[in-house]
Amino acid sequence: MFSFLLILHGLAAVALLGALTHQTISVWWPARTRTGSFVSSLRSVPSMTYTNAVIVLFLVTAVIGSVIYTEYRVAIRVTLQDYRLYIPEGAFELKEHVAAIAFGLLPAYWYYWKAPPAKERAFTRAMVTTLIALIVWYNFLVGHVVNDIRGFGS
Amino acid sequence: MSRAFPVFSVTFALIYLACVQYNLAPFTYHPELMQWGLGVQPPRQGPAMYWFGWLTTATLGAAALGALSLLVPVTLTRRVWAGFVWLVPVLVIAAFVYILRGYFLR
Repeated sequence: MFSFLLILHGLAAVALLGALTHQTISVWWPARTRTGSFVSSLRSVPSMTYTNAVIVLFLVTAVIGSVIYTEYRVAIRVTLQDYRLYIPEGAFELKEHVAAIAFGLLPAYWYYWKAPPAKERAFTRAMVTTLIALIVWYNFLVGHVVNDIRGFGS
Repeated sequence: MSRAFPVFSVTFALIYLACVQYNLAPFTYHPELMQWGLGVQPPRQGPAMYWFGWLTTATLGAAALGALSLLVPVTLTRRVWAGFVWLVPVLVIAAFVYILRGYFLR
């Protein structure tokens, strides 16, 4: 069951990464006109429409991840400790904490995207979005590396 | 009501840091036994997990402080720098890196 949930967790994380990366790029580097090129299309996505999808995907990913996390504590963390893989273990410890902080940031993220667009809020909105995007990228990469160390189905 | 959301995010990060540092978990999960226990309990068989408890404490605490912030007049809250909403979580993450430095410096 945990393998199935891990795959679901990974798929939800990929969708979340895509949405957040699009939104972050478009918020820092918006396209004035759409030329039809790949880069222009990437920059010109309607960022505001991503907000609710990002929140739902984050919650889905986090809920599945928190179920898998129990298995990590029982079966995988012990292996990392046995092999003295301190850096991956520490990186995963940090993952749980930054995931919690990103969860706490979601209400502010929603607030700054849903509030009427104001120039003084634009920078805060961009920074909150970027911070969540960086956390999701970090968590995705660490989760991927730890999964590679333990091995699928082992 | 939504103006309490940035307050929630800032206070959540700070309360969560305090929860981890002082282990303020209202309950403990024992994954090996698949059992929940009230308060902070030592490991029974296999590890004990406090993370769910820390999240609960931080969520309830931040929700309470966010609700209290609604009592502050809007004219006053507008004077508070909005950048705290991202700066505080960044500083809390830096604190966690410091707390966990032992893993990376061995």
